[in-house]
Amino acid sequence: MLAGIRIVEFAEGIAGPMAGLRLGDLGAEVVKVEAAEGDWMREAAPVQPDGMAAAFFALNRGKHGLTLGENAQASGRVMREMLRGADVFITDRSPGELAEYGLADVLGTPWAENPRLIVADVSDWGASGPWAGMPGCELAAQAFSGYTRYLGSSADDPRRLGADVGSCGAGVFTAQGVLAALLARRESGQGQRVSTSLLNALISLKSIQLAAQSDPDQYSGPRVGGPHDAPERGWTTKDDPIFFSFGGSVGAEGRPGWTQFVGEVGLEHLLEDKRLDANGRNSTGHGSLVHKMRETYEVAFANFTAEDLVGKIRKYGANAARYMRADETMVHPQTQALGLVREVEAGAGEKVAVRAFPARFSRSATRTEGVAPQLGGDPSGWAASWGLSVELLSSLRGT
Amino acid sequence: MAGPLSGLRVMDVSIMAAGPWTGALLGMLGAEVIKVEPPAGDGTRWVMPTQRGLGTNFISMNVNKQDITLDFKNEADRQVARDLAARCDVFVQNFRPGVIERLGLDWPTLQALNPRLVYAAISGFGEIGPLAKAGCADPIMQAFSGFACSNGAPGDVVEAFRFTGFVDLTTASIAAEGILAALNERVVSGLGQKVEVSMLEAALEIQMTRIAELQGAGRVMIPMGHENPAFVPDRAFRARDRFVFVTVRRQREWDGLCKALGLEAADTDPRFASNRDRVANREAVSALLEPVFAAKPAIWWLRVLPRHGVVCQIAQDFEGFRYHRQVSENTMLAEVSRPEFGTVSVAGTPWKFSATQCEVTPPSIPGADTARVRAWLAGGEA
Repeated sequence: MLAGIRIVEFAEGIAGPMAGLRLGDLGAEVVKVEAAEGDWMREAAPVQPDGMAAAFFALNRGKHGLTLGENAQASGRVMREMLRGADVFITDRSPGELAEYGLADVLGTPWAENPRLIVADVSDWGASGPWAGMPGCELAAQAFSGYTRYLGSSADDPRRLGADVGSCGAGVFTAQGVLAALLARRESGQGQRVSTSLLNALISLKSIQLAAQSDPDQYSGPRVGGPHDAPERGWTTKDDPIFFSFGGSVGAEGRPGWTQFVGEVGLEHLLEDKRLDANGRNSTGHGSLVHKMRETYEVAFANFTAEDLVGKIRKYGANAARYMRADETMVHPQTQALGLVREVEAGAGEKVAVRAFPARFSRSATRTEGVAPQLGGDPSGWAASWGLSVELLSSLRGT
Repeated sequence: MAGPLSGLRVMDVSIMAAGPWTGALLGMLGAEVIKVEPPAGDGTRWVMPTQRGLGTNFISMNVNKQDITLDFKNEADRQVARDLAARCDVFVQNFRPGVIERLGLDWPTLQALNPRLVYAAISGFGEIGPLAKAGCADPIMQAFSGFACSNGAPGDVVEAFRFTGFVDLTTASIAAEGILAALNERVVSGLGQKVEVSMLEAALEIQMTRIAELQGAGRVMIPMGHENPAFVPDRAFRARDRFVFVTVRRQREWDGLCKALGLEAADTDPRFASNRDRVANREAVSALLEPVFAAKPAIWWLRVLPRHGVVCQIAQDFEGFRYHRQVSENTMLAEVSRPEFGTVSVAGTPWKFSATQCEVTPPSIPGADTARVRAWLAGGEA
């Protein structure tokens, strides 16, 4: 879908490489440029059978690799040559760091040497403001944007989200920014700069909570939850915990199946319980009454397995799921039916499973390439088509 | 100049969050977005908390949209819907599989009317497979996808993210990414296509690194409190007065941390030589660092760690960050106002374009644009 689009990615960690990865899956040709010390994600645990960090592989498969030398000016000249012929430059380097490579002018779009170039800069804290260029990271961004308040309770040690949601979110927004700028370029003929950040991504993804806290009529409901509430651990059953909800997760609208369901699991007495509304919706899902009613449900749920209860609840048109670990999710028949897992080549003749692009198109194919670049790997297979002469590449080895 | 999608028109018949925020993102990018509500209204209008009677959920998920009411039970209104779809570039729906066919707004029908249409179908579990017709919602997918089982204190089985809607908005982000890809392809082929996105795939995408550790190395994520399975130290430390959040990834950051903490001996300890060594000796790293952090207040670590190239932060809440200069100068928050609901804080745009600048505009009041859009369609003027 992006055949012919050329991307130079000078970014490490998660967000920038994730944007490059997915644009590559859509058909763009991506060169990953690394400083001599290498992308820090190469140091992550754990490693694959081929010795590469698993997360680094998943984020960088299918890309060409170019490792810079110790001489920043020479490195900058090589990158400049690549950028003259590129469509997109994805970078997480600050303006100051780019200046060390002699590339400060590239941030001024349309860039004189290639006015069609789209510059996507993804930072930790945002391109403007007092913290522009200040190093940050996933955990710092989660803490600053209030995400750690939505786990645990004030009496406990803080908790983070186990997933790297700010980095991955910023990766998706960066890919969107590039795709939108490519569309605009078809009209204007010119590139532009699009800035994203981990902090901005996390704040964007909590728009519902921001609105809920503006000036609410009542301080009520799960949207205004916080560490003053108990942690959400689901309902225990004979085996695994479940989540269930009659009438949407937020109780917008009840579903009458609840009245039959409580009969089926031996909780008929709830039909007479004055605390509950007609369809029991305020006792399922999230919310303060839900916490009070949990033990009542759990007495009955102790007689049933999670899968049994989930089946009973779905039968009545309500929503339910067993809490699963991701290893269970990935082998679940539903996940397998979607065909989103592909086996690709890793290094040393090994094969590794990865996830394909997370959307399906009726007419266009996406790619799922293997093999991620080695640090210091040989660029000769692709460099000539990017206008990089043998002389220019050898200048990287000087000091 | 207006946003990068200015000139494009989007018809959004979705309700709740994952579909509507897809339309909102396209609206923020400059497209003209027409939200179509059933006579009963999008259920989020009544979700607590409300502001002056209108659901704040509805307000935040429907920024940058016009709003019309159509009754799909009525054939005349279904014809209006088809007429509108024929004049749009993008169509967004999140009905359960099977329902959209009954309404006559399925992809084959609309493709026949408008071959250039990009048709986004957003579902919980996908359109095929044993759970294709199962109901879904944010906490359901948190449970199903492994997302919730990666949170909690060490020893816990699971802790769901109390902030529901996160997976919905993630799904909308993936949907917008797919729609933008299809719009790019359309420039070349002249043809639209159907884009299928599920909450399941989105929930896996936002767990990119954790799923990669599972697929590449067989490592299953379990609740680790405030720690990171991939890097050590990357966690909260109790300072004398409160917690600080400290992250080390590179070797030079570890060197800097050791220096800042006066632990020069640790810097040459072979147990801590590389990140992977530190991950293998996680408890020893904690035992070494915890008493040092506990001896001084957070403000000290906030000053001294960055001087040594190490990221250090404290946690904030909404009141703490909403007026922070970093947030305001990057317009990460926006305010939308209408007399009917007052002023509401919502997300600012997630991207800042230098040329095609975007803005956040308030949602229309439900149904407010019905008469105008009907007249425009009847008049035949595009």
